Amino acid sequence: MQRRDFFKKLGAAAAVAAIAPTISFAADAKKMSGPNDISFKAAVDAVTGGKTPSVSSKIKLKVPEIAENGAVVPVTVEVESPMTETDYVKAIHIFATKNANARCIDVHLTPANGKAMFSTRIKLGGTQEVATVVELSDGSFITASQSVKVTIGGCG
Amino acid sequence: MGKRKSLIKIKPKKFKDGEIVKVSFMVMHPMETGMRKDKKTKQIIPAKYINNIKFSYNGKVITTMNVWESLSTNPVFTTYMKINGKGNLTVTYTDNTGEVNEKSKKIKPKG
Repeated sequence: MQRRDFFKKLGAAAAVAAIAPTISFAADAKKMSGPNDISFKAAVDAVTGGKTPSVSSKIKLKVPEIAENGAVVPVTVEVESPMTETDYVKAIHIFATKNANARCIDVHLTPANGKAMFSTRIKLGGTQEVATVVELSDGSFITASQSVKVTIGGCG
Repeated sequence: MGKRKSLIKIKPKKFKDGEIVKVSFMVMHPMETGMRKDKKTKQIIPAKYINNIKFSYNGKVITTMNVWESLSTNPVFTTYMKINGKGNLTVTYTDNTGEVNEKSKKIKPKG
């Protein structure tokens, strides 16, 4: 019986040891905050001035469904637009919805770009949705989003 | 010869006047968020990230970007540009510590 008890205790100790680091890590992650922290909703409102952007199929948002490394996630946004003086894409905004600072980048385009496409690499703190809000020259806003599963967090 | 800090790539390499080409701007930058701790010293690494990028072509601004810290280390920015005669493409980038850098590339359309 003694031997059995010993193994029971050993097993319990191992379980605690395995859980403990994740608990302390979660506490650390909560504490950390930067000066530019802003939630996704507030960030979108700041961009659109309170308007609700409509979901559009004009936007092609290319993000991997599963990102192995959250520190480098390629994002490509392509918008169908003739890019003429009267009808062009004014700005492309990329958001990571659950990062401490949801804003990633604002790209202000002009007709001289010829094609409304932008691509970069962003950091994601964990599994979340990547969203883009596109401002057209007539003042309207369109949006698209896609969820990304992150196996290793990149920041925060 | 120092370490290369930034690079402008244009695809395709040979292009004609009026053609729309892909422009990639790569920059070596730590993009520190200011939320990470140094594992050895236990000190928070101060934030250092690019916050503004400006593409200008022959003095005319074609694209501006407001950037925040959620971009990855050594970021790449890819966009398109319409070739409009000979000239210079200049990319100016500023970071949150006030450092301003510049990189330019000659544009020589053929035909």
